[in-house]
Amino acid sequence: MPFVDYYQVLGLDKTASEKDIKNAYRKMARKYHPDLNPDDKAAEKKFQELNEANEVLSDPEKRKKYDQYGKDWQHGEEYEKARQSRGRAQSGGNPWSSGDDGGGFSDFFESMFGSSSGFGGGRQTRFKGQDYQAQVHLNLRDAYETHKQTLNVNGKNIRITIPAGIENGQTIKVTGHGGKGTNGGPDGDLFITFTVANDEKFKRSGNDIHLKEDVDLYTAVLGGDLVIETLNGKVKLPVKPETQNGTVVRLKGKGFPVYKKEGTFGDLYVTFNVKIPTNLTEKQKELFTELSKS
Amino acid sequence: METKQLIATDKFCTFYNVKYSFVESLLEIGLIEAVTVSEQQFIHIEHLQKIERIIRLHDELDINLEGIEAIHTLLDRIEHMSSELNSLKNRLRFYEQF
Repeated sequence: MPFVDYYQVLGLDKTASEKDIKNAYRKMARKYHPDLNPDDKAAEKKFQELNEANEVLSDPEKRKKYDQYGKDWQHGEEYEKARQSRGRAQSGGNPWSSGDDGGGFSDFFESMFGSSSGFGGGRQTRFKGQDYQAQVHLNLRDAYETHKQTLNVNGKNIRITIPAGIENGQTIKVTGHGGKGTNGGPDGDLFITFTVANDEKFKRSGNDIHLKEDVDLYTAVLGGDLVIETLNGKVKLPVKPETQNGTVVRLKGKGFPVYKKEGTFGDLYVTFNVKIPTNLTEKQKELFTELSKS
Repeated sequence: METKQLIATDKFCTFYNVKYSFVESLLEIGLIEAVTVSEQQFIHIEHLQKIERIIRLHDELDINLEGIEAIHTLLDRIEHMSSELNSLKNRLRFYEQF
Protein backbone atom coordinates (compact mmCIF):
# COMPACT_ATOMS: atom_id res chain seq x y z
CA MET A 1 0.00 0.00 0.00
CA PRO A 2 1.82 3.15 -1.16
CA PHE A 3 2.04 6.34 0.88
CA VAL A 4 -0.09 9.18 -0.48
CA ASP A 5 1.44 12.66 -0.30
CA TYR A 6 -1.63 14.83 0.28
CA TYR A 7 0.43 18.03 0.17
CA GLN A 8 1.68 17.10 -3.27
CA VAL A 9 -1.87 16.29 -4.41
CA LEU A 10 -2.90 19.85 -3.56
CA GLY A 11 0.38 21.34 -4.78
CA LEU A 12 1.34 22.62 -1.31
CA ASP A 13 4.22 22.28 1.09
CA LYS A 14 3.99 21.18 4.71
CA THR A 15 3.91 24.72 6.03
CA ALA A 16 0.67 25.54 4.20
CA SER A 17 -1.90 27.42 6.28
CA GLU A 18 -5.56 26.44 6.55
CA LYS A 19 -6.36 29.23 4.12
CA ASP A 20 -3.75 27.96 1.65
CA ILE A 21 -5.29 24.48 1.82
CA LYS A 22 -8.80 25.78 1.32
CA ASN A 23 -7.74 27.94 -1.61
CA ALA A 24 -5.72 25.19 -3.26
CA TYR A 25 -8.58 22.72 -2.87
CA ARG A 26 -11.18 25.14 -4.25
CA LYS A 27 -8.99 26.05 -7.20
CA MET A 28 -8.23 22.45 -8.18
CA ALA A 29 -11.72 21.15 -7.39
CA ARG A 30 -13.16 23.70 -9.81
CA LYS A 31 -10.82 22.40 -12.46
CA TYR A 32 -11.50 18.69 -11.93
CA HIS A 33 -15.08 18.58 -10.61
CA PRO A 34 -16.95 15.73 -12.40
CA ASP A 35 -19.92 17.98 -13.17
CA LEU A 36 -17.60 20.28 -15.11
CA ASN A 37 -15.83 17.38 -16.83
CA PRO A 38 -18.57 15.01 -17.96
CA ASP A 39 -17.38 11.55 -19.07
CA ASP A 40 -13.79 12.29 -18.05
CA LYS A 41 -12.58 9.39 -15.90
CA ALA A 42 -9.18 11.00 -15.29
CA ALA A 43 -10.80 14.16 -13.91
CA GLU A 44 -13.12 12.07 -11.75
CA LYS A 45 -10.16 10.22 -10.24
CA LYS A 46 -8.25 13.45 -9.69
CA PHE A 47 -11.27 14.96 -7.94
CA GLN A 48 -11.43 11.91 -5.69
CA GLU A 49 -7.77 12.40 -4.78
CA LEU A 50 -8.35 16.10 -4.10
CA ASN A 51 -11.31 15.36 -1.84
CA GLU A 52 -9.28 12.88 0.15
CA ALA A 53 -6.35 15.27 0.51
CA ASN A 54 -8.70 18.04 1.60
CA GLU A 55 -10.49 15.72 4.02
CA VAL A 56 -7.22 15.06 5.81
CA LEU A 57 -5.45 18.41 5.59
CA SER A 58 -8.45 20.61 6.37
CA ASP A 59 -9.15 18.70 9.59
CA PRO A 60 -6.58 19.76 12.24
CA GLU A 61 -6.70 16.40 14.05
CA LYS A 62 -6.32 14.31 10.91
CA ARG A 63 -3.61 16.62 9.62
CA LYS A 64 -1.67 16.32 12.87
CA LYS A 65 -1.85 12.54 12.77
CA TYR A 66 -0.93 12.49 9.10
CA ASP A 67 2.05 14.84 9.64
CA GLN A 68 3.22 12.78 12.59
CA TYR A 69 2.85 9.29 11.20
CA GLY A 70 1.91 9.70 7.55
CA LYS A 71 5.18 8.89 5.87
CA ASP A 72 6.19 6.32 8.48
CA TRP A 73 2.74 4.86 8.77
CA GLN A 74 4.14 1.33 8.68
CA HIS A 75 6.45 1.94 11.64
CA GLY A 76 4.69 4.41 13.90
CA GLU A 77 3.91 2.63 17.16
CA GLU A 78 0.72 4.53 17.85
CA TYR A 79 -0.45 4.16 14.32
CA GLU A 80 0.31 0.45 14.41
CA LYS A 81 -1.84 0.02 17.52
CA ALA A 82 -4.69 1.89 15.94
CA ARG A 83 -4.34 -0.15 12.80
CA GLN A 84 -4.40 -3.41 14.71
CA SER A 85 -7.43 -2.37 16.74
CA ARG A 86 -9.32 -1.87 13.51
CA GLY A 87 -8.07 -5.23 12.31
CA ARG A 88 -7.98 -4.19 8.71
CA ALA A 89 -5.98 -6.19 6.22
CA GLN A 90 -3.48 -4.35 4.06
CA SER A 91 -3.50 -4.67 0.33
CA GLY A 92 -1.11 -3.64 -2.43
CA GLY A 93 -1.49 -2.05 -5.83
CA ASN A 94 -3.30 1.16 -6.65
CA PRO A 95 -3.62 3.33 -3.54
CA TRP A 96 -7.14 4.43 -4.52
CA SER A 97 -10.08 2.08 -4.31
CA SER A 98 -12.23 1.65 -7.39
CA GLY A 99 -14.80 3.98 -5.92
CA ASP A 100 -17.60 1.54 -6.65
CA ASP A 101 -18.37 1.21 -2.96
CA GLY A 102 -19.34 4.88 -2.91
CA GLY A 103 -16.57 5.83 -0.49
CA GLY A 104 -13.76 6.36 -2.92
CA PHE A 105 -10.98 6.60 -0.32
CA SER A 106 -7.51 5.23 -0.95
CA ASP A 107 -6.36 2.13 0.93
CA PHE A 108 -3.82 4.40 2.64
CA PHE A 109 -6.57 6.71 3.92
CA GLU A 110 -8.79 3.88 5.11
CA SER A 111 -5.91 2.17 6.84
CA MET A 112 -4.95 5.35 8.67
CA PHE A 113 -8.31 6.96 9.40
CA GLY A 114 -10.82 4.16 8.91
CA SER A 115 -13.52 4.03 6.30
CA SER A 116 -16.26 5.58 8.39
CA SER A 117 -15.18 9.16 7.78
CA GLY A 118 -17.20 11.01 5.21
CA PHE A 119 -16.30 13.88 2.97
CA GLY A 120 -17.46 17.25 4.18
CA GLY A 121 -16.36 17.11 7.83
CA GLY A 122 -19.30 15.08 9.14
CA ARG A 123 -22.05 17.02 7.37
CA GLN A 124 -25.05 14.84 6.74
CA THR A 125 -25.52 16.04 3.18
CA ARG A 126 -27.13 13.42 0.99
CA PHE A 127 -24.99 12.52 -1.95
CA LYS A 128 -26.24 10.91 -5.07
CA GLY A 129 -24.51 7.62 -5.86
CA GLN A 130 -21.87 7.33 -8.54
CA ASP A 131 -23.11 7.27 -12.13
CA TYR A 132 -22.05 4.19 -14.09
CA GLN A 133 -21.16 4.12 -17.78
CA ALA A 134 -21.68 1.11 -20.03
CA GLN A 135 -21.33 0.38 -23.73
CA VAL A 136 -23.61 -1.83 -25.77
CA HIS A 137 -22.77 -2.96 -29.29
CA LEU A 138 -25.61 -3.58 -31.72
CA ASN A 139 -25.79 -4.44 -35.37
CA LEU A 140 -28.03 -2.42 -37.68
CA ARG A 141 -30.74 -5.06 -37.69
CA ASP A 142 -30.83 -5.10 -33.86
CA ALA A 143 -31.31 -1.34 -33.87
CA TYR A 144 -34.19 -1.68 -36.37
CA GLU A 145 -36.55 -3.27 -33.85
CA THR A 146 -37.44 -2.48 -30.25
CA HIS A 147 -36.06 -5.32 -28.18
CA LYS A 148 -35.10 -6.25 -24.65
CA GLN A 149 -31.57 -7.03 -23.59
CA THR A 150 -30.07 -8.13 -20.29
CA LEU A 151 -26.86 -6.37 -19.27
CA ASN A 152 -24.51 -7.27 -16.48
CA VAL A 153 -23.38 -4.09 -14.75
CA ASN A 154 -21.04 -4.52 -11.78
CA GLY A 155 -22.36 -8.03 -11.13
CA LYS A 156 -26.04 -7.07 -11.35
CA ASN A 157 -28.29 -8.13 -14.20
CA ILE A 158 -30.35 -5.29 -15.61
CA ARG A 159 -32.99 -5.89 -18.26
CA ILE A 160 -33.48 -2.90 -20.52
CA THR A 161 -35.68 -2.11 -23.48
CA ILE A 162 -33.78 -0.71 -26.43
CA PRO A 163 -36.15 1.38 -28.55
CA ALA A 164 -36.03 0.92 -32.31
CA GLY A 165 -34.11 3.63 -34.15
CA ILE A 166 -31.35 4.11 -31.59
CA GLU A 167 -28.45 6.05 -33.15
CA ASN A 168 -24.79 5.11 -33.21
CA GLY A 169 -23.16 6.96 -30.29
CA GLN A 170 -26.47 7.72 -28.57
CA THR A 171 -26.56 7.50 -24.79
CA ILE A 172 -29.61 6.59 -22.74
CA LYS A 173 -30.00 6.96 -18.98
CA VAL A 174 -31.34 4.19 -16.77
CA THR A 175 -32.31 5.99 -13.59
CA GLY A 176 -31.25 4.56 -10.24
CA HIS A 177 -29.04 1.76 -11.58
CA GLY A 178 -25.74 3.42 -10.65
CA GLY A 179 -23.88 3.32 -7.34
CA LYS A 180 -25.65 3.51 -3.99
CA GLY A 181 -26.33 6.99 -2.61
CA THR A 182 -24.79 8.03 0.70
CA ASN A 183 -26.61 9.31 3.78
CA GLY A 184 -29.91 8.34 2.17
CA GLY A 185 -29.15 10.15 -1.07
CA PRO A 186 -30.54 8.76 -4.31
CA ASP A 187 -28.74 6.02 -6.20
CA GLY A 188 -26.69 7.05 -9.21
CA ASP A 189 -27.77 6.43 -12.78
CA LEU A 190 -26.55 4.09 -15.45
CA PHE A 191 -25.61 5.70 -18.77
CA ILE A 192 -25.54 3.31 -21.71
CA THR A 193 -23.86 4.38 -24.93
CA PHE A 194 -24.78 2.39 -28.02
CA THR A 195 -22.45 1.54 -30.85
CA VAL A 196 -24.38 0.52 -33.96
CA ALA A 197 -22.20 -1.31 -36.46
CA ASN A 198 -22.46 -0.66 -40.18
CA ASP A 199 -24.19 -3.22 -42.37
CA GLU A 200 -22.69 -4.63 -45.55
CA LYS A 201 -25.82 -3.98 -47.58
CA PHE A 202 -27.82 -1.26 -45.84
CA LYS A 203 -26.27 2.12 -45.10
CA ARG A 204 -27.98 4.33 -42.60
CA SER A 205 -28.11 8.10 -42.73
CA GLY A 206 -30.22 9.32 -39.82
CA ASN A 207 -33.60 7.71 -40.36
CA ASP A 208 -33.01 6.95 -44.03
CA ILE A 209 -31.54 3.80 -45.49
CA HIS A 210 -29.51 3.66 -48.68
CA LEU A 211 -28.78 0.57 -50.70
CA LYS A 212 -27.36 -0.29 -54.11
CA GLU A 213 -29.27 -2.72 -56.26
CA ASP A 214 -28.04 -4.39 -59.42
CA VAL A 215 -30.33 -4.17 -62.46
CA ASP A 216 -29.66 -6.14 -65.61
CA LEU A 217 -29.26 -4.13 -68.79
CA TYR A 218 -32.44 -5.41 -70.39
CA THR A 219 -34.66 -4.46 -67.43
CA ALA A 220 -32.97 -1.07 -67.29
CA VAL A 221 -33.62 -0.47 -70.98
CA LEU A 222 -37.06 -2.01 -71.36
CA GLY A 223 -38.40 -1.59 -67.82
CA GLY A 224 -39.75 -4.25 -65.49
CA ASP A 225 -40.06 -5.21 -61.86
CA LEU A 226 -37.36 -5.84 -59.33
CA VAL A 227 -37.84 -7.62 -56.01
CA ILE A 228 -35.57 -6.07 -53.42
CA GLU A 229 -34.84 -7.04 -49.86
CA THR A 230 -35.43 -4.33 -47.24
CA LEU A 231 -34.92 -4.48 -43.48
CA ASN A 232 -38.66 -5.16 -43.26
CA GLY A 233 -39.00 -7.90 -45.85
CA LYS A 234 -39.15 -8.03 -49.63
CA VAL A 235 -40.62 -5.25 -51.76
CA LYS A 236 -41.52 -5.19 -55.48
CA LEU A 237 -39.96 -2.18 -57.13
CA PRO A 238 -40.95 -1.13 -60.67
CA VAL A 239 -38.08 -0.10 -62.91
CA LYS A 240 -38.99 2.47 -65.54
CA PRO A 241 -37.91 1.87 -69.14
CA GLU A 242 -34.61 3.60 -70.06
CA THR A 243 -33.41 3.77 -66.46
CA GLN A 244 -29.90 5.21 -66.32
CA ASN A 245 -27.07 3.76 -64.25
CA GLY A 246 -26.92 5.53 -60.85
CA THR A 247 -30.61 6.47 -60.86
CA VAL A 248 -31.90 6.83 -57.32
CA VAL A 249 -35.48 6.03 -56.36
CA ARG A 250 -37.08 6.77 -53.02
CA LEU A 251 -39.40 4.38 -51.22
CA LYS A 252 -41.24 6.52 -48.72
CA GLY A 253 -41.57 5.08 -45.22
CA LYS A 254 -39.40 2.04 -45.94
CA GLY A 255 -36.35 3.34 -44.11
CA PHE A 256 -35.29 3.18 -40.46
CA PRO A 257 -37.75 3.60 -37.59
CA VAL A 258 -37.70 7.04 -36.00
CA TYR A 259 -36.49 6.81 -32.38
CA LYS A 260 -39.39 6.73 -29.93
CA LYS A 261 -41.94 7.57 -32.64
CA GLU A 262 -43.66 4.28 -33.11
CA GLY A 263 -44.94 3.63 -36.62
CA THR A 264 -42.85 6.45 -38.14
CA PHE A 265 -40.11 5.52 -40.55
CA GLY A 266 -37.54 7.29 -42.68
CA ASP A 267 -37.21 6.58 -46.39
CA LEU A 268 -35.36 3.95 -48.36
CA TYR A 269 -33.19 5.17 -51.24
CA VAL A 270 -32.29 2.61 -53.88
CA THR A 271 -29.47 3.37 -56.30
CA PHE A 272 -29.63 1.32 -59.49
CA ASN A 273 -26.40 -0.24 -60.61
CA VAL A 274 -26.92 -1.28 -64.24
CA LYS A 275 -24.93 -4.40 -64.99
CA ILE A 276 -23.51 -4.68 -68.48
CA PRO A 277 -23.72 -8.27 -69.73
CA THR A 278 -20.44 -10.12 -70.09
CA ASN A 279 -19.36 -13.23 -72.02
CA LEU A 280 -21.58 -12.28 -74.97
CA THR A 281 -22.27 -14.90 -77.61
CA GLU A 282 -21.55 -14.11 -81.25
CA LYS A 283 -25.24 -13.71 -81.87
CA GLN A 284 -25.59 -11.20 -79.01
CA LYS A 285 -22.59 -9.26 -80.27
CA GLU A 286 -24.21 -9.08 -83.70
CA LEU A 287 -27.44 -7.80 -82.19
CA PHE A 288 -25.62 -5.11 -80.21
CA THR A 289 -23.71 -4.09 -83.32
CA GLU A 290 -26.98 -3.83 -85.19
CA LEU A 291 -28.44 -1.75 -82.37
CA SER A 292 -25.48 0.58 -82.41
CA LYS A 293 -26.09 1.33 -86.09
CA SER A 294 -29.78 2.11 -85.65
CA MET B 1 -50.50 10.26 -14.28
CA GLU B 2 -49.00 13.74 -14.51
CA THR B 3 -48.55 14.11 -10.73
CA LYS B 4 -46.30 11.02 -10.70
CA GLN B 5 -43.77 13.11 -12.60
CA LEU B 6 -43.66 15.78 -9.90
CA ILE B 7 -42.06 16.13 -6.48
CA ALA B 8 -43.39 18.59 -3.91
CA THR B 9 -40.88 21.40 -3.29
CA ASP B 10 -40.99 20.95 0.51
CA LYS B 11 -40.31 17.21 0.17
CA PHE B 12 -37.48 18.00 -2.19
CA CYS B 13 -35.94 20.41 0.33
CA THR B 14 -36.13 17.79 3.11
CA PHE B 15 -34.70 15.04 0.97
CA TYR B 16 -31.81 17.06 -0.39
CA ASN B 17 -31.20 18.94 2.85
CA VAL B 18 -31.52 22.38 1.23
CA LYS B 19 -33.32 25.48 2.42
CA TYR B 20 -36.47 26.59 0.63
CA SER B 21 -34.87 29.99 0.08
CA PHE B 22 -32.24 28.26 -2.06
CA VAL B 23 -34.91 26.70 -4.29
CA GLU B 24 -36.68 30.05 -4.37
CA SER B 25 -33.50 31.74 -5.66
CA LEU B 26 -33.16 29.08 -8.36
CA LEU B 27 -36.75 29.72 -9.43
CA GLU B 28 -36.22 33.47 -9.35
CA ILE B 29 -33.29 33.46 -11.74
CA GLY B 30 -34.97 30.87 -13.93
CA LEU B 31 -32.48 28.05 -13.40
CA ILE B 32 -35.36 25.71 -12.60
CA GLU B 33 -39.10 25.76 -13.12
CA ALA B 34 -41.91 24.78 -10.79
CA VAL B 35 -45.59 24.11 -11.27
CA THR B 36 -48.42 24.74 -8.86
CA VAL B 37 -51.11 22.10 -8.44
CA SER B 38 -53.88 22.64 -5.87
CA GLU B 39 -51.92 25.51 -4.32
CA GLN B 40 -48.90 23.29 -3.76
CA GLN B 41 -45.60 23.86 -5.54
CA PHE B 42 -43.94 20.99 -7.38
CA ILE B 43 -40.75 20.39 -9.31
CA HIS B 44 -40.62 18.16 -12.38
CA ILE B 45 -38.73 14.93 -11.68
CA GLU B 46 -36.96 15.27 -15.01
CA HIS B 47 -35.31 18.45 -13.66
CA LEU B 48 -33.85 16.63 -10.63
CA GLN B 49 -30.58 15.76 -12.32
CA LYS B 50 -30.02 19.41 -13.15
CA ILE B 51 -30.90 20.54 -9.63
CA GLU B 52 -28.61 17.91 -8.09
CA ARG B 53 -25.81 19.29 -10.21
CA ILE B 54 -26.63 22.84 -9.07
CA ILE B 55 -26.53 21.74 -5.42
CA ARG B 56 -23.19 19.98 -5.88
CA LEU B 57 -21.63 22.98 -7.64
CA HIS B 58 -22.97 25.30 -4.96
CA ASP B 59 -21.98 23.15 -1.97
CA GLU B 60 -18.75 21.60 -3.13
CA LEU B 61 -17.24 24.44 -5.11
CA ASP B 62 -18.82 27.41 -3.41
CA ILE B 63 -20.02 28.81 -6.72
CA ASN B 64 -22.72 31.45 -6.55
CA LEU B 65 -25.94 31.16 -8.55
CA GLU B 66 -24.80 33.55 -11.28
CA GLY B 67 -21.70 31.38 -11.78
CA ILE B 68 -23.82 28.24 -11.85
CA GLU B 69 -26.09 29.82 -14.44
CA ALA B 70 -23.07 30.57 -16.63
CA ILE B 71 -21.74 27.02 -16.14
CA HIS B 72 -25.09 25.56 -17.11
CA THR B 73 -25.26 27.62 -20.26
CA LEU B 74 -21.80 26.40 -21.24
CA LEU B 75 -22.50 22.77 -20.30
CA ASP B 76 -25.71 22.86 -22.34
CA ARG B 77 -23.71 24.22 -25.24
CA ILE B 78 -21.11 21.44 -24.85
CA GLU B 79 -23.89 18.86 -24.77
CA HIS B 80 -25.44 20.32 -27.91
CA MET B 81 -22.07 20.41 -29.68
CA SER B 82 -21.30 16.87 -28.59
CA SER B 83 -24.60 15.65 -29.99
CA GLU B 84 -23.97 17.58 -33.21
CA LEU B 85 -20.48 16.09 -33.44
CA ASN B 86 -21.93 12.60 -33.06
CA SER B 87 -24.47 13.28 -35.76
CA LEU B 88 -21.75 14.59 -38.10
CA LYS B 89 -19.55 11.56 -37.36
CA ASN B 90 -22.44 9.30 -38.32
CA ARG B 91 -22.93 11.22 -41.57
CA LEU B 92 -19.22 11.00 -42.32
CA ARG B 93 -19.34 7.27 -41.61
CA PHE B 94 -22.08 6.96 -44.21
CA TYR B 95 -19.96 8.59 -46.93
CA GLU B 96 -16.86 6.62 -45.95
CA GLN B 97 -18.71 3.32 -46.24
CA PHE B 98 -20.93 3.88 -49.27
